[in-house]
Amino acid sequence: MKKKDEQLLRLPAEILYAKEIKALIQAEKHKVPTGWQMSPRSVLTYICGGKAGRKKISAKYIGHQRLVEIAISTLVTDRALLLIGEPGTAKSWLSEHLTAAITNDSTKVVQGTAGTTEEQVRYTWNYAMLLANGPSNEALIQSPIFKAMEEGSLARFEEITRCASEVQDAMISLLSEKRISVPELEKEVPAKKGFSIIATANTRDRGVNDMSAALKRRFNLIILPAPATLDTEIDIVRKRVSELAVNLDLNAAIPEEESIQKVVTIFRELRSGATLDGKNKVKTPSGVLSTAEAISLIANSMSLAGNFGSGKVGDADLAAGLQGAVVKDDDKDHLVWEEYLANVMKKRGASWRSLYKSCQEHNA
Amino acid sequence: MNNAPHVFGIRHLSPGGAWHLCNFLDQIQPDIILIEGLSDADDLIEHITSRRTKPPIAILAYTEVLPVRTLVYPLARYSPEYQALCWAKSRDIAVRFIDLPSDIFLAFSQIEYDLETKPTGKSFYEKFALQAGEPDYETYWERNFEHNLGKGVYQSAALQLGAGLREIKDQQDYDSAQNLVREAYMRRQIKKVMDEGYHPGKIVIVVGAYHAPVMGLDHHVLKDDEFEKLPQINSRLTLMPYSYFKLSSQSGYGAGNHAPLYFELVWNCIRAQDPTKIALEYLSRIVRNLRESGTSRSTAEVIEAVRLANTLAALKNGLGPTLCDLQDAAVSLIGQGQRTIVAEAMAHVEVGTAIGELPHGISQTSIQDDFTRELKCLKLDKYRTTIKQTIDLDLRENRRVKSEAAAFLDLNRSFFLHQLIVLGISFAKKIATRQTSATWAEAWTLQWTPESEIALVEAVLMGETIELATAYCFKSRLDESKSIDEAALIIRQVCESGMVELLNQALQTLQRLASQSTEFILIARAANELGMLVRYGDVQRFDPKPLKPLIDQLFTEGTLLLLNASNCDNDGAKDMINAMSELNKISLEYDQLIDEALWINKLHKLSDADHLNPLLSGYACAILLERNLINNDDLAREVSRRLSPGIDADIGAGWFEGLSKRNRYALLARLSLWQQLAEYVSALDDEQFSRALVFLRRAFSDFNPREKRNIAENLGEIWGVSVDGVSELMGQSLTQEEKETLDQLNDFDFDDL
Repeated sequence: MKKKDEQLLRLPAEILYAKEIKALIQAEKHKVPTGWQMSPRSVLTYICGGKAGRKKISAKYIGHQRLVEIAISTLVTDRALLLIGEPGTAKSWLSEHLTAAITNDSTKVVQGTAGTTEEQVRYTWNYAMLLANGPSNEALIQSPIFKAMEEGSLARFEEITRCASEVQDAMISLLSEKRISVPELEKEVPAKKGFSIIATANTRDRGVNDMSAALKRRFNLIILPAPATLDTEIDIVRKRVSELAVNLDLNAAIPEEESIQKVVTIFRELRSGATLDGKNKVKTPSGVLSTAEAISLIANSMSLAGNFGSGKVGDADLAAGLQGAVVKDDDKDHLVWEEYLANVMKKRGASWRSLYKSCQEHNA
Repeated sequence: MNNAPHVFGIRHLSPGGAWHLCNFLDQIQPDIILIEGLSDADDLIEHITSRRTKPPIAILAYTEVLPVRTLVYPLARYSPEYQALCWAKSRDIAVRFIDLPSDIFLAFSQIEYDLETKPTGKSFYEKFALQAGEPDYETYWERNFEHNLGKGVYQSAALQLGAGLREIKDQQDYDSAQNLVREAYMRRQIKKVMDEGYHPGKIVIVVGAYHAPVMGLDHHVLKDDEFEKLPQINSRLTLMPYSYFKLSSQSGYGAGNHAPLYFELVWNCIRAQDPTKIALEYLSRIVRNLRESGTSRSTAEVIEAVRLANTLAALKNGLGPTLCDLQDAAVSLIGQGQRTIVAEAMAHVEVGTAIGELPHGISQTSIQDDFTRELKCLKLDKYRTTIKQTIDLDLRENRRVKSEAAAFLDLNRSFFLHQLIVLGISFAKKIATRQTSATWAEAWTLQWTPESEIALVEAVLMGETIELATAYCFKSRLDESKSIDEAALIIRQVCESGMVELLNQALQTLQRLASQSTEFILIARAANELGMLVRYGDVQRFDPKPLKPLIDQLFTEGTLLLLNASNCDNDGAKDMINAMSELNKISLEYDQLIDEALWINKLHKLSDADHLNPLLSGYACAILLERNLINNDDLAREVSRRLSPGIDADIGAGWFEGLSKRNRYALLARLSLWQQLAEYVSALDDEQFSRALVFLRRAFSDFNPREKRNIAENLGEIWGVSVDGVSELMGQSLTQEEKETLDQLNDFDFDDL
């Protein structure tokens, strides 16, 4: 029998990394801002890795440390934080870990969709109680943001640009006045110290709405870039894949360093439209080949290998994943991928040969 | 500790250092100040501190022999050295430079050059900063040194930093060896001063933080015989005006700093004892700058940016935000996450446009004297200002004046200005005139800048006067030139600069290169260049005779290369068309000189060829047509052959495009051509038609409406529609359906592209 926690598909960050958080709190030496459970520096250590006393803290976000510093500083100044980036640049990942480290609660989330309404941002009612007793505190259902204001903690607003502009605008007065009014109960709830919001938004995707200038002004904006170097990206992929392997019981060995490197290389080249050495131009496919996709691709291949294969990720498993990741908009992507295989991968020599052949078969 | 001199470690161009140093000097009240700087530059001190000198300026040392090595030692208002010099001057106290003299320094840099021991990877300063958890050394320094105004903090921190640096620095590299010699020499100078009887407690030594820990005389002092053995190279020293821009573009420890205007702001704020103002002022300036360029940002955003910058600094235990913090805050809030929005404003606020000034006559080398003399002689001295001024020149003889010098004043001015261009002195810039045929008219903008003064000083190494330096420059460029268009350009510049004595040598070079070259386009360009010179050469008053045989040679070579070169793709064809047009111009203009028949022959071959680029074949046909060397029947046959149904539409249309690139009236006037085109169009099936339509549309795209109407009328006549009917039809606006059809054409998918 597994423990209850282990039956969950994915645990919130504060439970998954509870030991690290505890160690950091114990080893705290610096001043802790009101409403926070650790100092800004410890948050930085939690996210970017380091040491707390004798315990090693794993890095959750690899690469751009400076951006994390800016993000943390923003939250110290009680400003709301907006993380922007292409799909798969670890925006939600970063926001989850920031809230986990700062408030030990990453679950106050509004998940933005095209169907999100203003009530979900502010508050709504238990209508049975509302009809029976009229407006009362008991009938009031608070949104995660409302709760965060009351408690003085952090709320997350995922995919804010997917919400309709009218709904986004509900945030404007919330953020500038830092209070929420409930006219039905003739009360106004001011935010406690420590309250802030971390929102994430997509730039390059279908079905996103623009943000108004007024709303943008109320956020500190940080644009998360794709990983800067091949090595960073490989690090990220390897780390996340090994975590997933444990979480998801993938029953397969982690792929060799070389396979990860190949996948990341292909992704980077197709993403940037040129080979890594800059000598050859290649066409880019229609989809965004994000780091997150590379991670799920490899996890996918591991699952294939574990359940239907030898338990060891082979080139055939990778090829199946690559095919699915690259060729999304069938016809054109198909050509892009074929051209890449013929012009770039085929010429890479013996070590790439078998992957090339498998890909070729899949793409035929 | 009264028997050791006071050592004050600084960083060059450090405002905090300047402020602390001034306080320290006030406290010690020394009798003499010794500064790390070229020890033979002592004579320049009075000019540096002169009331009329406005920093940024620089001490420039340069070798007298080639290859030119220069050493630039910039001083801004907030340089600790500059402030120390001013402090000494205002109190009439002795001050000396104690680093190696320029002769030896430059000889050192020569060795370094030969050995090519440039360090790779991160410099050890960067490593040091990384150890301290900062992204770069600049930030490390600013965070730890510039903001702390506590008494004595800077001096002791710099001493410790120096010791720390010395510890981690790899002592094996060449740089360190040089540093050891420099330090030994500085100690020698210090000892000398002490021997002169100055009380050690009244001596203040100002050196870079790295050297500060080893200025005690218990370390090795350079001995006389050792000093004799040091390499030497003849060099000269001068002062020159500097600019913030130049300062920011130099990187490295001593040579510059990346944000001079920002550090001036820091200097002003700490002098007012108000370092918190730095962030406020920096971010406000950014926003003001953005507003001026039309991007509106509110004061609220400045407030939030200041708060973010302060928090970022607090995260690193800093006293105040560094430039790096300020930049990140500006990007995050004012730029809304995007650096590009604030990048320009940042450059304005950080670098600025300040230019230094020196009293007249301070910065003087022989070539500068010559420059001044020439300006006076050519009556150009009023243009020697930082304000950009325009001057129009008429190179023709002015017949209303008496002396020859006056008659050709503008021509001589033009010669002189062209010489400056050759030397890369940015004082004069030529404006392209609209009327290209009027070669006697030239327009120039003249503007004096420190950069031009620097270039002028550097030019002294090529010759003692402007003219000598230009001649030298031409000669070395000729020796090095490897392509004929380069040589042709030099010939033109030689003529423009009025240095006819160099012409023969230049022509020889061109001849040699031309005989080796197989590049049609380059040869055509060179021939054209020479053709222009012969055509308009009398303005510059030189004899064009020696140029003529060369034109012939180039023309013949080009003609022979034509067919080979025409085997190119459509991108290459654009240049080819220009080159063909140039050669054709020469064949028309110098028909006595060159073999015209050969040219016509090759054009015919190109025009008839099927395997060469169709665009060029069409263009050759057009040239022949214009020269009336093709009759109507031949043309009709050629059109029908080119556009026959079996041939790919893009090839046929490409040919037609080439044909239409020259005289269009010659085409419009020939009805038989349009007859063929009409037949061609009607013979196409639907798929081929849309293909051909795309190409034909391109071919006709740069025809003007009137010409298009003419074509339509021509075709209308052939198809039996009246002229009026065509005009009426063309006047109607498009229907929805027609528009859609056109849009589809825009998206026409060529499988092969």
